[in-house]
Amino acid sequence: MQPWFRRLIVAAAAVSCLYGVGMIAAEHGSDEPEPDENNLAIIVNTANPIDNLSLPELRKIFLGERAHWPNSRRITLVMMEPGQPERKALIREVCQMSESDFTRHFLNGVFTGEVFATPKTLASPVGVRKFVFNVPGAIGYLRAPEVDSSVKVIKVDGHLPSDKEYPLHILAERAAR
Amino acid sequence: MTRPEQDVSIPVRARDRALRVYSRYSPAVLLLVVFSVEVGVGWFVIRDWHTAGVETRQMYARSVLGLRQIGDLQYQAQETRRSTLYALTTNDSNLQVAYADQSRDADRRVTDGIVAYLQEARMPTEIALGQKLQRDWSAYLKVRDEVLASILEGSTKEAVDMDLSGGVPSFDRVRQDLEEVKRLYDEQASEQLALVDASSHRSIIRLVSVVCFTLVFATFSVWAIQRNRMLSTVQLAKLQMDFVASISHELRTPLAVIQSAAENIADGVVGGKEQLAKYGSVIRNQSRQVTEFVNQILLYAATRDRRHRYVLRPLAVSELINSVLRNTAETVRTAGFGIEQHIDPDLPPVMGDLAALSQCLQSLLGNAVKYGGSSRWIGIRAFSQEVHGRREIAIAVTDRGIGIDRSEILHIFEPFYRSAAVSAAQIHGTGLGLSTARSIAEAMGGKLSVQSKLGAGSTFTLHLPVAKQQHLPAAAEPPRRDAIAQP
Repeated sequence: MQPWFRRLIVAAAAVSCLYGVGMIAAEHGSDEPEPDENNLAIIVNTANPIDNLSLPELRKIFLGERAHWPNSRRITLVMMEPGQPERKALIREVCQMSESDFTRHFLNGVFTGEVFATPKTLASPVGVRKFVFNVPGAIGYLRAPEVDSSVKVIKVDGHLPSDKEYPLHILAERAAR
Repeated sequence: MTRPEQDVSIPVRARDRALRVYSRYSPAVLLLVVFSVEVGVGWFVIRDWHTAGVETRQMYARSVLGLRQIGDLQYQAQETRRSTLYALTTNDSNLQVAYADQSRDADRRVTDGIVAYLQEARMPTEIALGQKLQRDWSAYLKVRDEVLASILEGSTKEAVDMDLSGGVPSFDRVRQDLEEVKRLYDEQASEQLALVDASSHRSIIRLVSVVCFTLVFATFSVWAIQRNRMLSTVQLAKLQMDFVASISHELRTPLAVIQSAAENIADGVVGGKEQLAKYGSVIRNQSRQVTEFVNQILLYAATRDRRHRYVLRPLAVSELINSVLRNTAETVRTAGFGIEQHIDPDLPPVMGDLAALSQCLQSLLGNAVKYGGSSRWIGIRAFSQEVHGRREIAIAVTDRGIGIDRSEILHIFEPFYRSAAVSAAQIHGTGLGLSTARSIAEAMGGKLSVQSKLGAGSTFTLHLPVAKQQHLPAAAEPPRRDAIAQP
């Protein structure tokens, strides 16, 4: 085989590879990363000025240890019913507790007055979303794909659910199960 | 044949003359006017019905549908508030969210309804009221949102306080606004109703007016027709009496001459051949005059008989004229008249009854002799002409005699009509010649026209249609002399 012919074959193979990679990239869409359906989005009312919360802050809020937002609106916690994977993921990854510890924490907190408000419990993700939409001080959680424009998603530790570094995953919960 | 007179009719007042002119066309005019009025009335009534219908529909659309719209708005506004208050009745967050949802759905419908109302609003009052309603509704919704938030947060007391302090007053304002909108609709409906009433009233007045006019007009027309018939009957009776007197007079003179001549011959007063010939000539001439009178009367009677049928066939114009000239040669010669005739060459044949047309032309020629005056000249001209795209043959008989007064031109074709001047001049006649001639001309599909100037002479023109192509083979046949029959 002639050297020039070999170089031609190598060049053609390289061009074909580049073209294939480009087509695959084009088929897989935009530059915007898709939110992972197993990521747990933290949502607040659109009137809430908060955009970002750290995990410790989030933990404090969901354990009822913080009463008001910076705009002095009262914080209202919205949880899904026990047994739901989203709730389990939040309790484990944000509160770092088990379901029973979480329940006990609130019973104890209400009794001692350390907890300012008990969470509202809703049956469905739609209910959670509508509750947060209606209550300016509400905070809740949803699977990332179930979020719509009626509520606002806040960053956790500076990351949105679409980011790779996003810390809250329901998948981990399922794996653990 | 007659000559017009100044006024042989019954003296009529100007009103009767006008009525006669009017009533000549009155049945057609009456029908036309009544038809027009009926069409007009129909048009007005239909237009008014249509207008009333449109106005009623508009009123219904604006008022009834508007009231329904406002009723719906009131219901949805109540529903917005009711659902909010239902949320107070439970601690179940899921139910509270469902009630909040219902409240928001209802408020969305109210908001849309207000926008629709504003889009349809035309009057400044409506627009101002719609804008006020929009403002008050937005103010209530702000309070409602806070109340809902408090309920969902679990702060029931706070929600109740907020609703009592802010929600109730702002919702009352909304309710008042809706009542105001409803009142405005009621007012507009009343105005529209008044307009429809006025339109209906106007229609009735218009209808009654036009019907009254129609009745008055019809009454007047019937009266005019009846009066004209009465006048015509009286006039006809007078003409017939005049005719009888005239005929009696015309017959009495020659009969008296004949009787006198006969008596002289019988009594042996007349002697010698020359004297007998003279008396014979007198008797012959007078007899001919009587015969002519009787023939004219019979001919008139025949032309008035609608059952009379003419035998129409192609006739050569020159043949027709020659026939007439032959029949009148002696009369013309005796009167000392000379005839100048000019017949255009190659004239197409005409359609007609030879006997009738001969009689018609003889009548015209006789008139020319009778009224030709001292000029003793008669012109006969036949030519072809085109009138309104139709080819016709015109045969004009002209004299340079006494002529006809313009005021009598219209009457000379009326039967029994004789002008006072002609009667006074002792010119004999029955008053039937021109009437008969015109009847014959019209029966042939032609017409008889006249041009005359008082003291200068007259021209009577017989217009006849040209024979059609399919009749032309028959035109080759010579005209039958025996076709000249007395009708």
